[in-house]
Amino acid sequence: MDISFGSAALHIAQSTGFTALTSGHVIMLLISCVLVYLAIWKQFEPLLLLPIGFGCLMANLPLSLMSNVDEGGLLNFFYQGVTHEILPPLVFLGVGALTDFGPLLANPSTLLLGAAAQVGVYTTLIGAVALGFDMKEASAIGIIGGADGPTSIFIASKLAPHLLAPIAVAAYSYMSLVPLIQPPIMRFFTTPTERKVRMEQLQPISQTVKIIFPVLVTIVCCLMLPGVTPLLGMLMLGNLFRESGVTKRLHETAETHLINIVTILLALAVGSSMTAESFLKLETIKIIVLGLLAFSMATAGGVLFGKLMYKMTGGKVNPLIGSAGVSAVPMAARVSQKVGAEEDKQNFLLMHAMGPNVAGVIGSAVAAGVFVSLFGDPVAGADPHAAVESLHQIASVIGGGK
Amino acid sequence: MNGLLGDAVTVSIISMSVIFLVLSVLIITIKVLVRLMPYEAPPPKPVKKTAASQTAAATSSEADEHIAAITGAMTAHLGQNPGHLDIKPL
Repeated sequence: MDISFGSAALHIAQSTGFTALTSGHVIMLLISCVLVYLAIWKQFEPLLLLPIGFGCLMANLPLSLMSNVDEGGLLNFFYQGVTHEILPPLVFLGVGALTDFGPLLANPSTLLLGAAAQVGVYTTLIGAVALGFDMKEASAIGIIGGADGPTSIFIASKLAPHLLAPIAVAAYSYMSLVPLIQPPIMRFFTTPTERKVRMEQLQPISQTVKIIFPVLVTIVCCLMLPGVTPLLGMLMLGNLFRESGVTKRLHETAETHLINIVTILLALAVGSSMTAESFLKLETIKIIVLGLLAFSMATAGGVLFGKLMYKMTGGKVNPLIGSAGVSAVPMAARVSQKVGAEEDKQNFLLMHAMGPNVAGVIGSAVAAGVFVSLFGDPVAGADPHAAVESLHQIASVIGGGK
Repeated sequence: MNGLLGDAVTVSIISMSVIFLVLSVLIITIKVLVRLMPYEAPPPKPVKKTAASQTAAATSSEADEHIAAITGAMTAHLGQNPGHLDIKPL
């Protein structure tokens, strides 16, 4: 091979990324820098937004082969963990190992707040359909209202993989903005008297109940909604590691090293999917707007159901804990505590809000399971129209067989 | 579009019903579980008798009054039955 100085210099110059740099790449590099800035200097979900932002940065460096679609590239391998639904359930394993279900077990009716907050998922689904998304895409967008990153990624990768990047970014961005989004909505829907309600101290729960609970939830929920098993099953396994007391090493690994490693892989994989082709679309702006609607409606749904519980219990439930039903553990519970303390500094709502908060995790996983059952699982029929048709039949049977 | 919106509304109503149903089943299950296996406070650790405790025994009536006052305050604060608390002098 004849190498002259000129030809070598020309070859190197032609192989640089500058030759393939487009305006789309430049915009995405700027967006990635904004994400990194928000993570480091504004501390918006830094554990996630930093690797997502840096993954996006690497994916948009031309010729680097670091986007999720570059066969053989490093981040393409990481992305297989999303495609094959490996990483989100592993995050749930770590979340389960970190979660104390004690407050939920002490006051199980707070599970209803976790269910009510899922109204954000479905109002967003309707909004997404109105904006022109099909049913599968709308379901993947709606789950942003569950305020649960791994669930959003799990459903997006299953139902609308082409929308994974904007959905994940919207979910994690709004989760970091929970302290800004929720308080005005909470104050709007509650009176000062309701916000001042002091709740009774939670009763202690026996360790046996804490051990049986994850096994029972897995059996009950996964029998009713098999599609939820990867998420809920792993969540409950992680919790069983924690509560059983006989798997200290597994528990410690799941709640520290494993969840940290998986978070790095998952966030980089999501970042690698943020290419100019997939992100710079009108749909992204729609998803960002719908994500805000999802969080707002979920908060409103939880607080309004909290008000209903306040009325039904004769003022024993503080409606502010309803907003924690959106999941976003533990930030949403902290917001309930903060807004409650604004009215009464001696009012400690944090432990009471942890009940609906962890109920929100179960609620959003169940909502995801319903979507999988309807639109994703071959048993229920992959065709969304067939699923909707079967729903119409059920509705007509309930309505008197018209 | 109207047909798809109708489908979305149907899916939403049915899905919310399923979520409430599943979580209501869980609530009932938890309540049954908690009732079947109530919390039992761990037995208090045996306290070794020391010279100091023997001296304290001499003024037992005064210590009993203190314990009664502390138990009363604690039960009022925690909203529990006095029988659930077991406060002992050191």
